[in-house]
Amino acid sequence: MPEIVLTQASAHLRHGSNIGQPLTRRDGVLKVTGAARFAADNHPPGMLYAVLAVSSIARGRVTFLDLQAAKAHPGVVEVMTPANKPLLAEDPDAKTNPFIFRLDVLQNDHVRYANQPIAVVIAETLEAATEGATLLFPRYETEAVRIGLEAGESFIPPGVGIGNPAETHQGDVEAGLAVASRRIDATYETAAQYHNAMEPHAIVAAWDGDSLSIDMPSQGLAMALGRVAGLFGIPPESIHIRSPFLGGGFGSKGLISGPQVLGIMAARLVGRPVKLVLRREQMFGPVGHRAPTRQTVRMGSDSDGALTAIDHHTKTASSTFDDFFEPASDISHTLYASPAISTSHEAVRLDTGTPLFMRAPGEATGSIALESAIDEMAEACGMDPLAFRLKNYAEVEPISGKPFSSKALRDCYAQGAERFGWARRPLASRQMRDDAGLLVGWGMGTATFPALMFQGQARAVVRNDGTGIVETGAHDMGQGASTALAQIAADGLGLDLDQVEFRSGTSDLPDAGIAGGSSHTATAGMAIHSAGADVIARLADLATGDERSPLFGAGNAGVIARRGRLFRRDDESRSESYAEILARAGLAEIEGRGNSAADPAAQSSYAMHAHGAVFAEVKIDPELGQIRATRLVGAFAAGRVINPRLVRSQYYGGMIWGISFALHEHAVMDPRSGRPMNPNLGEYHVPVNADVPSLEAILVEEHDSYVNALGIKGVGEIGITGTAGAVANAVWHATGIRIRQFPITLDRLIEPTP
Amino acid sequence: MYAFDYHKPRSLAEATALLNANPEARLLAGGMTLIPTLKQRLASPSDLVDLGGLPDLAGIFVGDGEVRIGAMTTHATVAHSAEVRAALPALAALAEGIGDPQVRHRGTIGGSISNADPAADYPAGVVGLGATVVTDRREIAADNFFTGMFETALEPGEIVRQVRFPIPEAAGYAKFPNPASRYAVAGVFVARAAGGVRVAVTGAGPSVFRVPEMEAALTASFTPEAIASVLVDADDLNTDLHATAAYRAHLVGVMAARAVTSALES
Ligand SMILES: Cc1cc2nc3c(=O)[nH]c(=O)nc-3n(C[C@H](O)[C@H](O)[C@H](O)COP(=O)(O)OP(=O)(O)OC[C@H]3O[C@@H](n4cnc5c(N)ncnc54)[C@H](O)[C@@H]3O)c2cc1C
Repeated sequence: MPEIVLTQASAHLRHGSNIGQPLTRRDGVLKVTGAARFAADNHPPGMLYAVLAVSSIARGRVTFLDLQAAKAHPGVVEVMTPANKPLLAEDPDAKTNPFIFRLDVLQNDHVRYANQPIAVVIAETLEAATEGATLLFPRYETEAVRIGLEAGESFIPPGVGIGNPAETHQGDVEAGLAVASRRIDATYETAAQYHNAMEPHAIVAAWDGDSLSIDMPSQGLAMALGRVAGLFGIPPESIHIRSPFLGGGFGSKGLISGPQVLGIMAARLVGRPVKLVLRREQMFGPVGHRAPTRQTVRMGSDSDGALTAIDHHTKTASSTFDDFFEPASDISHTLYASPAISTSHEAVRLDTGTPLFMRAPGEATGSIALESAIDEMAEACGMDPLAFRLKNYAEVEPISGKPFSSKALRDCYAQGAERFGWARRPLASRQMRDDAGLLVGWGMGTATFPALMFQGQARAVVRNDGTGIVETGAHDMGQGASTALAQIAADGLGLDLDQVEFRSGTSDLPDAGIAGGSSHTATAGMAIHSAGADVIARLADLATGDERSPLFGAGNAGVIARRGRLFRRDDESRSESYAEILARAGLAEIEGRGNSAADPAAQSSYAMHAHGAVFAEVKIDPELGQIRATRLVGAFAAGRVINPRLVRSQYYGGMIWGISFALHEHAVMDPRSGRPMNPNLGEYHVPVNADVPSLEAILVEEHDSYVNALGIKGVGEIGITGTAGAVANAVWHATGIRIRQFPITLDRLIEPTP
Repeated sequence: MYAFDYHKPRSLAEATALLNANPEARLLAGGMTLIPTLKQRLASPSDLVDLGGLPDLAGIFVGDGEVRIGAMTTHATVAHSAEVRAALPALAALAEGIGDPQVRHRGTIGGSISNADPAADYPAGVVGLGATVVTDRREIAADNFFTGMFETALEPGEIVRQVRFPIPEAAGYAKFPNPASRYAVAGVFVARAAGGVRVAVTGAGPSVFRVPEMEAALTASFTPEAIASVLVDADDLNTDLHATAAYRAHLVGVMAARAVTSALES
């Protein structure tokens, strides 16, 4: 490992012994052997089972529930309805900040989407609760539903994503289009998608007086704590949430969901611990989704292939009762240089659950349209798609004019193209066939995702036996956070990994920030790094100020922490172990604290993004239109890599989501009833192993001195961006047919859309 | 699931007696369709009469120009039978392509044809080969057996015992499987015998059906090219989550050609 130079790193810390190592997940054996205890595996004594009864209509009122029948069923203990639910201290429909979303927790008899909870049956067994829920046989007063982007009145949302303006204009797009010698004007549609993490949303809640113990998968422990405290009117200190493992979250476990709150209410109502787990089909409603979009992209370029204008407009949808607008157009802010860029959004309100953050919210959705449009523009200019992208390479962030804190995208293009063999690609479509006669196509897309940071805290301790403890309430969603963060923790304390106990995943630990926005390693990692630095600084003070220490007087020269010892920086023959320093000071342990947050000065001066280039090969049966994404190569630059194995697996996962976006995922809504028609994994298709024959991710070296002292950007979401477009572009290259509705279905490759 | 009484008769007579005594009783074969139906409460039989205890109903016999398959024979047994593979490889291949290994080891030919799922594979084989369905009371020609979506000529209480397939000169089956369940989005069974060519389509319409234009064209010339220009009308075909009627009509043409190719290769 080369020594890593950090511009803002603490002088006495040196990295590289743990950071950068491709360790396997530390919880891998637990998971493979089944010993890992996920939320729903917890069965406290006296626990009852709660099952949701959900609405089969999408709009109206519940007029009748057969409570008698349900209650009469053997084993049923209680049925919770709007009439008898425990009172909440806070209105679940109140919106006090943009991260608070309205919940359906039986506040009244209104139904605002299909699969909304309308009652909770609590019983001695899962079977009895399930049966009780069936016996309720609800009756409704039904109103006409609004489903699909044509329903309802269109309006300009007050903001998109979290607080982005709905419209942004830079330069004069119409003038840019007017002077262009080549133009495209294309409309793309993306389908509604549901996160469908393997582990359904679950909760095991137990009250002890006014204290509350919760097992629940969470990507945002501190926010969940705050929300539960507010809703139930109890201090956060009396709530304890455990979330050691998640079976995936993808954004849908960022905020505590309505069904999980209902689990807590049910436990309060019956005075016993309660477990509530969503069934797969119940996840198509109350726990968020990615809204459908219709995006129109207009572009112009001059005769040399330089863009003169980009106009990206998105129509999307939120629910009738809350605001989340997929910021799809904003992808066009950062990637391609153009003298004029305009982005805008409009929306309708539909009778669905509220859409929410779903892995790369906005970026994924916008990327497939933008990368398809760039491909169409390159085609219009008669240029190779990579050459066209290089021609329009953004040296500064197009929308803001800010320099990039780092941007190794050229290297990504070069390494990805080389590995893929892009240079051999024929320019025209429908030129390649394999031995079996299948049409072969190659396409590419650019990947991008902002390098975000939230606020986080951590605590670190060195004990007099020379071992350390590092604590932060981080979330391991399966991505391997507890492994990567432990690596940062060990380096932060100058200890070997096995000398450090890393504690995370519970709400009593310091807030590590939400595991979202691909920011968790940066946020929690920097807090850990700072906490480690704080401890080492305290140890150094003890040693350098004590004349009995070999490090006495080294204050100015400084010390370096490594393998449980402090070394004098200018004379490494002089050193002392942590244990010796603490023993002499008569201390059992020494504690430090660390915080992290984005640096506002750096943020105002630099545009911060990760980048990548994705190359895709598809093979298409010309008789059937059947598509296989046979080969994918992605090259990504995202600052410092803490653990290459885990980072690669994040890229793989993202790229598979990209294939899924382009070819598979589609929540089909019944326009008459407003119900999702395929709320199961047999009909809501996601790629399986056979759909992903070959995947490669190249980790392109990139050093960033501005994002944070560790130089970490995010890797969790970027893989979807670029990939979905690359697959779609490869489909065009294979067939000569440009499909602008995603997912691409086979029939449209047989009967070209008129 | 509603409560029911379970019986495992040891003879066909006992099974018939149970069915007669309980008009709301249902036969249980592999349970691959019936049990999920019960779980979803789409059916509420008073009694289940399990055919798994009747050894006479399972088994394969090849001879006299026929392949006879007992109703309780599983798809896996048919797929792996050396005799079927030798005498009627297209049927073994059809069985091999059903569902997943679990389904193939539980599901039976009797259950499959009695259920008459519009997307099931066996109906194409039964009609395509002009087989005969033997029940406890009569013999039913394939062309008269499947009467509609999930509907057959079976009378209440009638038990399928065996299916008798005449061995053709050549046969082939090709289907476009649903990526998740492997049921046929469209599947075509083609067989050439002394009496002519039969073409049976499953998955595309409400029930298995024959395509006379293709049969005529293939009788004249048994080649994929012979049916290249035969268009199947989409009007009577299914549109659902998985495919449009127009795409299914297109698939029927492609699968028919592939079935002919496979028949020629075998
Ligand atoms: C996941 C999955 C995937 C599948 N994929 C495919 C596929 O790709 N292709 C395909 O063709 N099929 C497929 N199937 C269907 C399966 O192969 C079975 O054939 C089918 O489920 C019925 O057979 P069974 O023996 O399980 O019958 P059962 O479910 O036990 O019975 C079905 C019906 O037939 C009646 N019945 C059963 N035996 C008799 C008899 N001898 N006489 C009269 N009535 C009888 C029963 O009363 C019942 O009404 C799939 C099933 C599943 C669950």
